Amino acid sequence: MTVLTDILHLLFTANLWQATLAAAVLLLLPALGGVVSERSGVVNIAMEGMMLTGAFFGVVADLAWHNVWAATGVAILAGGMMASIHAVVSIQFRADQIVSGIAINIFAGGLTVFLVNRIYGLQDVGHLGQSDLLPNLNIPGLEQIPFFGKVLFQQNVVVYAALVLLFLTHIVLFRTRLGLRIRAVGEHPQAADTAGINVFMLRYGAVITSGLFSGLAGAFLAIGISNTFVPGMTDGRGYIALAAMIFGKWTPFGAFIACLIFGLGEAIYANNSIIHVSPYLLSMLPYLLTLIVLAGLVGRSTPPAADGLPYVPGSE
Amino acid sequence: MPPIARRLAGGLAMPLGSVVLAFVIGAVIVAVTGGNPLDAYSGLLCGGLGIACSQGENPALQVSTTIVYVIPLITTGVAVALPFRAGLFNIGAEGQLLAGMMACTAIGVKFSDLPSPILLPMVLLGGMAAGAVWAGVPGILKATVGAHEVVTTIMLNYVAQWLLRYLIIGGPLQLAPGTSKSLTIGPGAWLARVLPNDNSLVIFGLPAGVFRVHTGLLLALVAAAAFAFLLWRTSLGYEIRAVGQSQRAARYAGVSVARTIIVTMLIAGAFAGLAGAIQIAGVDHNLTDIYFSDTTGFDAIAVALLGLGSAVGIVLAAILFGALHAGGSVMQADAGISGSLVFVLQALILFSIAANFIGQIRRLIPGLGRPAALPPEMPPAAPMMTEAAVPPVEP
Repeated sequence: MTVLTDILHLLFTANLWQATLAAAVLLLLPALGGVVSERSGVVNIAMEGMMLTGAFFGVVADLAWHNVWAATGVAILAGGMMASIHAVVSIQFRADQIVSGIAINIFAGGLTVFLVNRIYGLQDVGHLGQSDLLPNLNIPGLEQIPFFGKVLFQQNVVVYAALVLLFLTHIVLFRTRLGLRIRAVGEHPQAADTAGINVFMLRYGAVITSGLFSGLAGAFLAIGISNTFVPGMTDGRGYIALAAMIFGKWTPFGAFIACLIFGLGEAIYANNSIIHVSPYLLSMLPYLLTLIVLAGLVGRSTPPAADGLPYVPGSE
Repeated sequence: MPPIARRLAGGLAMPLGSVVLAFVIGAVIVAVTGGNPLDAYSGLLCGGLGIACSQGENPALQVSTTIVYVIPLITTGVAVALPFRAGLFNIGAEGQLLAGMMACTAIGVKFSDLPSPILLPMVLLGGMAAGAVWAGVPGILKATVGAHEVVTTIMLNYVAQWLLRYLIIGGPLQLAPGTSKSLTIGPGAWLARVLPNDNSLVIFGLPAGVFRVHTGLLLALVAAAAFAFLLWRTSLGYEIRAVGQSQRAARYAGVSVARTIIVTMLIAGAFAGLAGAIQIAGVDHNLTDIYFSDTTGFDAIAVALLGLGSAVGIVLAAILFGALHAGGSVMQADAGISGSLVFVLQALILFSIAANFIGQIRRLIPGLGRPAALPPEMPPAAPMMTEAAVPPVEP
């Protein structure tokens, strides 16, 4: 009983929900990228690698320039560069998109460690000073609102950016001509091509967007939450984001809800002193939940029709 | 060139070309970042094959180390290649391998007093069963509700990784509080070494105990042979290939597609689980935290693709990647180039195979003759023509 009352108490603290939102956003950014990419018909399991690349180059730039905004830009671009490799290989060369995604993840893991070694030798990458981190931003006035002020308006700048991107992605995908075209390309590229839509260009754009979003998530992780780069520091978050995307049935808000559920689990564990379940067992939950969703126990989750199929002009 | 030689050359051009291309790009990456590619690659050669060692490394020891890496790569390579034939992409060999390791260790610890003739088959079969369960779930989900096996196997990889951490950090298999390794399996569960594990004996100038190469090598080779036999000499193998070619055609031919998918995944998981059990029984004898960052099951994807899904190809590709991984540490020690270059090379090989860069290059350079495979733009009627009737493809 004490466990239940403890969690119940926890659920009414603003601290918990503040931590939940921050943890959710770290997953939301790559998940949104995945939604955009897969809606255009390109399977993307490479968010992990793109995020890791962003984290690494963000830290390198920040250590060199001591300018967190420039470093964030570098991280976003680095994620985009990785994504453009995935785009060229899977759109232009019609490679198997899953093999390409695996290759991106292996490439990112190998390249970052290789470059750490080349740049910093055998030493640690080094730690960033407080002034070189992505800052928290309290929104004047709104932060005074009881409870919600702390949860929604005392957050890291990236959290606000991610929430804006969430609404933007939803609006662009479902309320604009561009979004209609992206979805058409992902459902039936032949028909879209016939209607004069540039399939290749839209897919390139969508895949690179997923890299930019993942790169921003990498920056948040490395120069927002941690203050250094550690090899493999994304630790499967890109794959949890993939799970969130599927959990959310390839929609931005669905993915966001999934990220909140996963983030809440993380935050409850971090903020309680009563539950003594192994953290390792709890870490399995996002993956098990996604399996349950995929098993059809909580409604079907169906990908876009042309997801994963390279487009060959003139094919039936 | 005689037709057979030409076909062989055409078949080998893609994998060999991909490897060469990856090494060339890898050399550029090393050179651009201020390293010496020749030093790096001679380190790899020494560490992988025991050739051209500059720092007095023992060639026999390097070969032994490479073989220890090769053994699980062959068996997990088969675990990826078999589902490929059925049109399934098993990204979960890593999770299945870990499941096999965990089952092997649990059984080997629990029944540590049993004699070898009973315990060794028990841990190996237990590992296979655990791997089969780990792959069977995605198989059943794919066959019944159509859940994509790529996603489900990824999820189960992580479930296995966290389960491993739980078991040896605070869980029931932990050696002692504060450690991150498991209890040791009973000696009855140990696979024999190829050379006697006896340091008073000197072989190749070193105490025999340092050569860790073990008899799991035979099991791995048997697994590769069993894979080829299953695929080409049994009716199940025919059904697997039929489902992989066209599910609809297979269904009309009376093949139960759902059953074939599930059975394929079960067998594949058993191979990967066997790889894990062999690793524990032959090398470590306990679970340790080095397997938190294990990549064997992902390397296996490269092995299966580079080996073109054939048993011989898988063995050759496993030797290549085993040598690369063994060579990485020597390269790091001798040339000061991070061993993670090996992962960069592996990714480049994957990109090259997936995108068929070699085919594209061959089509661009007329001197290299006709491409081995028809380019995808060829109209559907083309495969029906005889080889002589196919017009040469102009670049």
